[in-house]
Amino acid sequence: MSQKQYWSDLQDLRNIETKAEVSENEFREELPFDLSDSVMGATTPRRDFLKFLGFSTLAATIVSSCEMPVRKAIPYAIKPEDITPGVPNYYASTFVEGGEYCPIIIKTREGRPIKIEGNESSSITRGGTSARVQASVLSLYDKARLKHPVSGGKEVTFDAIDREIKEGIAGKSGYLVTCSIMSPSTKEVLNQFLVKNPGIKHIVYDAISYSAMLEANLACYGKKTLPTYHFDKAATIVSLDADFLGNWVAPIEFSKAYAQTRKISAKNPVLSKHYHVEPIHTITGAAADDRATCRPSEVGAVAVALYNAVVSGAAPSFKSARLNKLITSAAADLKKGNGLVVCGSNDVNVQTVINAINDKIGANGTTVNWVTTSNTWQGIDKDMLDMITAMEGGQVNVVMMHGVNPSYNHPEAKRFNAALAKVPMTISFADRLDETAQLCKYVIPDHHYLESWGDAEPKVGFYSLMQPGISPLFKTRAFQDSLMTWMDAGQTYADYWQLYWNTRMGGQANFDMALQEGVMEPETMPNGTATFAGNVAAAIAAVEGKKVASGVEVVVYQKVGIGHGGVWSNNPWLQEMPDPITRAVWDNYLCVSPKRANEMKAGIDSFNEVDYNKYVAKITGANGYAVTLPIMVVPGMHNDVVGIATGYGRHTNVGRAAASNDKQGGKNAFPFATINGANIEYFSGVTVVNTGEKYELAQIQTHSSYENRPVVHEYTLEEFKKDPHGLQKERGVEIGHYTEKPWHEGHHGEAVVDPEMEEGFRKEGTLYPDHPYEGIKWGMSIDLNTCTGCGACVIGCVAENNISVVGKYHALRGHEMHWIRIDRYFSGMPEDPDTIQTVFQPMLCQHCDNAPCENVCPVSATNHSSEGLNQMAYNRCIGTKYCANNCPYKVRHFNWMDWNGADAFADNIFEDGRRDDINDDLTRMVLNPDVTVRSRGVMEKCTFCVQRLQEAKLTAKKAGRPMKDGEARTACQQSCPSDCITFGNVNDKESEIYKIRREEQIERTFYVLEHIHVLPNINYLSKIRNTDEIVAGNEKKDGMYAEHI
Amino acid sequence: MHIKYESFLREPLVDGEKDYHQVSEDIVRPIEQKPGRMWYVGFIFSIILLCFGIFSVTWSVYWGLGTWGVNRTIGWGWDITNFVWWIGIGHAGTLISAILLLFRQGWRTGVNRAAEAMTIFAVMCAGQFPIWHMGRVWDGFWVLPLPNTRGPLWPNFDSPLLWDVFAISTYFTVSLLFWYSGLLPDFALIRDRAKTKLRRMLYGLASFGWTGTAKSWQRMEALALVLAGLSTPLVLSVHTIVSFDFATSVIPGWHTTIFPPYFVAGAVFSGFAMVNTLLVITRKILKLEAYITIGHLEAMNKIIVLTGSIVGVAYLTELFMSWYSQAWGEMEAFKWRIVGPYWWSYWAMMTCNVVSPQLFWFKKLRRSIPFTFVMSIVVNIGMWFERFVIIATSTYRDWIPGSWAYYSPEWPEIGFYLGTFGLFFTLYFLFAKYFPVVAVHEIKFVLKTSGERYKREMLRHEDQTLEEFVHEAESMHHHEEEHAHAHH
Repeated sequence: MSQKQYWSDLQDLRNIETKAEVSENEFREELPFDLSDSVMGATTPRRDFLKFLGFSTLAATIVSSCEMPVRKAIPYAIKPEDITPGVPNYYASTFVEGGEYCPIIIKTREGRPIKIEGNESSSITRGGTSARVQASVLSLYDKARLKHPVSGGKEVTFDAIDREIKEGIAGKSGYLVTCSIMSPSTKEVLNQFLVKNPGIKHIVYDAISYSAMLEANLACYGKKTLPTYHFDKAATIVSLDADFLGNWVAPIEFSKAYAQTRKISAKNPVLSKHYHVEPIHTITGAAADDRATCRPSEVGAVAVALYNAVVSGAAPSFKSARLNKLITSAAADLKKGNGLVVCGSNDVNVQTVINAINDKIGANGTTVNWVTTSNTWQGIDKDMLDMITAMEGGQVNVVMMHGVNPSYNHPEAKRFNAALAKVPMTISFADRLDETAQLCKYVIPDHHYLESWGDAEPKVGFYSLMQPGISPLFKTRAFQDSLMTWMDAGQTYADYWQLYWNTRMGGQANFDMALQEGVMEPETMPNGTATFAGNVAAAIAAVEGKKVASGVEVVVYQKVGIGHGGVWSNNPWLQEMPDPITRAVWDNYLCVSPKRANEMKAGIDSFNEVDYNKYVAKITGANGYAVTLPIMVVPGMHNDVVGIATGYGRHTNVGRAAASNDKQGGKNAFPFATINGANIEYFSGVTVVNTGEKYELAQIQTHSSYENRPVVHEYTLEEFKKDPHGLQKERGVEIGHYTEKPWHEGHHGEAVVDPEMEEGFRKEGTLYPDHPYEGIKWGMSIDLNTCTGCGACVIGCVAENNISVVGKYHALRGHEMHWIRIDRYFSGMPEDPDTIQTVFQPMLCQHCDNAPCENVCPVSATNHSSEGLNQMAYNRCIGTKYCANNCPYKVRHFNWMDWNGADAFADNIFEDGRRDDINDDLTRMVLNPDVTVRSRGVMEKCTFCVQRLQEAKLTAKKAGRPMKDGEARTACQQSCPSDCITFGNVNDKESEIYKIRREEQIERTFYVLEHIHVLPNINYLSKIRNTDEIVAGNEKKDGMYAEHI
Repeated sequence: MHIKYESFLREPLVDGEKDYHQVSEDIVRPIEQKPGRMWYVGFIFSIILLCFGIFSVTWSVYWGLGTWGVNRTIGWGWDITNFVWWIGIGHAGTLISAILLLFRQGWRTGVNRAAEAMTIFAVMCAGQFPIWHMGRVWDGFWVLPLPNTRGPLWPNFDSPLLWDVFAISTYFTVSLLFWYSGLLPDFALIRDRAKTKLRRMLYGLASFGWTGTAKSWQRMEALALVLAGLSTPLVLSVHTIVSFDFATSVIPGWHTTIFPPYFVAGAVFSGFAMVNTLLVITRKILKLEAYITIGHLEAMNKIIVLTGSIVGVAYLTELFMSWYSQAWGEMEAFKWRIVGPYWWSYWAMMTCNVVSPQLFWFKKLRRSIPFTFVMSIVVNIGMWFERFVIIATSTYRDWIPGSWAYYSPEWPEIGFYLGTFGLFFTLYFLFAKYFPVVAVHEIKFVLKTSGERYKREMLRHEDQTLEEFVHEAESMHHHEEEHAHAHH
């Protein structure tokens, strides 16, 4: 091959040799690095080269790792009129579930309800809520809700089934069974429907029935209704098995009122006296001053004994001396006036005796109001029993059921189910395929109350409107609309409802105002008496004729969280709310007294209390119904009584959180209830044996004695009156020495700690300089005297702060996430339930000014704000857990797993059948967008609802004025039905918190673990019990302490 | 003149008829031969353990620390227990090589190499726990004070956990340097003896071109002294700082001023026990009984009984102080430690650490190899329990009875611990195969003073009169000088 060289121009021809070099250097540019001869001596030495290298690598790394794809953020194409992203809207509405009632404010964000607050305009609940009210917003997004009408297990359209149903019910005879209905407009619709369908009879059935009270009131006063109880006006309260702070009739209303009689200060040392007799241990029993136990079958006898003691001063003769003493002194106190006796029995005779006592002590017209009566509960047991009999006889063609679930919760559920099969046309309005709905031909799901229009009249003349916070999520239809469709009313219920109230209130303007306010109430509540016309003698004879059982009796009771079951069974927030008394989550169990547990060889002691494998008992009822349940030792239970909570043992279709199997979900307690004549009695005789098997039971707290530590301070009323400064002296012993410099003439030993000394301790209890807080300084005060342990704050916090649900498996391993917990401490002799005294102590981050968690964090992820908040920077946390170890209060919670799908791993979300639905796209709609959803591996804890504090400050700032006391409120404070929690700026001398700490409650104020100088920003107010003796810490009288259990 | 005389009260540090060549032969032989069957069995077993450890850690990182048994109340369990345990073990090596070097303890030569290796491996194992116990380990580098674009945001210099980071990384670095600088002449020896090209190249690289000139030796000795001076305070500081993790807290049982000396003594105690465990096996398998003599083991056992007694006194002091303080938090914490649901861990600690080492007061037991071996294990079990007692049984029943809890480990925590054994023994087996487990040059240094054979040669001087001895010494000196002149 020839080596011919081509040239392109003459110059090229001349320089053919150098051409290669020139073309090679054609685009040559100087490199930035001078690599000539000596590298180190060059202008850009090796060092710089390494810098460049490092910079470019780092820059590349940062740039390539910054990208965070934004998912599912859809902006409004056209902004809805009243929705501004980031700004919440509030709607006044009403929570109603059967006879449970609470006027509320719905907080919505971007059109979805995320939080429920109590409506403070209501004079009944005065802004209080309950755990269930707080949790109800999650039930809106419940995945187990039916998304469309169902017939024969298949989706159907309203049009298709409406025709079938209309034809099916036309001219037929049958029943419309509903829960208690407080809505006047719904009642109107019902009446119209019944007029159109004369063959159909309306009956009311409540899962937990107050039938006997209604019947007794009818007999005694001619009023088939419940009176209004004025606990706030009562000086003496006697409760016989009525858990009025937890579940009985209207706990939110009663808690608010009761708390007013439990507030005490040194200036005004007055307390009501609360006597309580009950077979199991409820939070109402825990709150009582004097408490004794009796068998459930003995409640009638106790009522009679009380009646006799009131009437004739006859001394009772029960085996328990304490019970006798309680009855005698209760009777004496009742006679002093302003007494109130309530009773949880569902026996007409017993309720007649109670009515007689209230009549004798003059309660009618003062504490028992017969003019403004209560519409809450209306169910009559006999109607339901009659319906079952009629169905069995094949005389019933149509059964429509709204808000009831007899297949699950009726003691005769078996009979009911068999009878229902004989009914050709069965319609359920249940929101899910619950135990009853499954058996029905048609299921037409009702709206959730947050999607509904409606109203309520909980007391005569007291109205409350219900408006939706969101349009219906699914193809559901209001119960009223169904009825109106089938009677060809020609309008929707919403229109009807609007017209109804427009008419009643006389115009749109009034109506709008009422809708905004939520409630319409008279200025003052009319009170009045009624003439007692009951046959006491016959009732007493009947009660005395009833035999008191001799063996073991089981009490079917309601948990504060789950209640009778219903939708609450499938509410993971409520399932994970520790039961106030047992502190257990996710299950029901057999509550047993320590003595009986020891006899069954299932007792607890200081060593095995921490073992979550509990013995399993087999419980067999008289009717042959038998279940196995783990044994939960509960001090304060009557030794011959065991207790099982309702709401468990649910069918899979009720939802994943509710579903019951061998490992979880508990057992149904309702079949242990019995029919006594025409009323349901929630107890029966059973045999109980320890099977020797074990079952994992998740308890959040395992130790029950506060070990006589200055964590809780309790005094009797007498002690407090005699020496109001007792607590200040105790504090003086702990901190007195450190309130002055050692060389000063200071307060020593016997000092009575006052706010000035507190300041001294702050400065002199440490080597380090004091940090001044000049602007806002947040502080909280918690009154142990009014706290009933109800758990509303726990769920309020969960809803506000997106607290994760961890499920049973992790709960039992101590991985729960609640920012506020309510520690429960027992004292007294475990073998004698009548000696047990129980206190509750809400425990949350104390926002210590000298926080031990802050200095140990290696990356300063937890630090202190200038307003005294101990704050967490989640983004900065690397999860060493050092802070949690060093927290004396153990209130810091680590994200042990990826609870929410919020971490960097795509598919490692923690799965636990019972909590899974919490991470569904639907359920996530409940999340509060103002609060970060924490990822796995970071620590979290109470923030004092910093998002609310910021909002309050900004609102004030925008308005150009200082923030007012009460504008910033924490979720726990707002949800509390007993007003235990006060929160505010302690630097503001006008604030309530300042007044409590520095003026009104100096005598009762204490700080938990004050002596370790962590300087908590939460103070507690001591517990004052109106009783003879505080047993806690008394070696001889406090067996819980002596035995360390 | 150069008389290498050492008191006959001291037993020889090298037994048998050894000369310089024989020393090289004995110690380097295992490196030049194929390993035995036991080595393979042990090595493969260690690798399996290591793999299980890696699996356990991967599992915990992927799913989260909820796979562990630690909880709201007891935030640190086996993880930090094991961390402190391994760090404690990692104290012996540097103590032997640094402090004993400064104190001119000749007997350290037989054990220091293996002990230092053990230190480094133990610190590597220890370091795993604080790393992988983090909830977000991928952000763990935030504890380093690196210039950054996050503000810049610096670590919290108040946190004892941060001090740990510095203390341990410094300790590790210095120990590694110390160990490696001592290895240079021995690597050069292997290089010079090497028969294969690859070995010559690799050991040549590892020896950094050691030539063995007087200057090299002088520099190495100087470096050894400097590093010994540096490491001596580190031996004391590392565990002191680890103890600050607890001592600076507000948790009764942690908040204890006695911790620094108590932790250091405990660390030396457990470290020496671990050295004994390893040496008893190593000397047997590698046939190094002549270099790691019973005398060595006895010397170690003496330190064990000393430090064991110190920790015993510390335990009793703690109990006394908790009573003397009359502070309820303190008194209760110790009560629950002793009689609470974790009573067994307290009593295991007391038995293993305080009671059983006292048996070493008997010379016969001190010099018994089976007993030494068993005790070395017992001590480390005891020291593990000590850390568990401090960490878990302080938090489990602390200030607020409502949050009292209990803790038992889950499989990933146990797997993690086993995995560090895997890491430790994998490294140790590699070390035993490829590194001289006894420092050849240091043995040679003491051979002529403390070798059995040379001591025997000195025996005749014992019978000489002073005149005879001086005469002989002078003639030897003269002879040596002549010899030197002849060379020139």
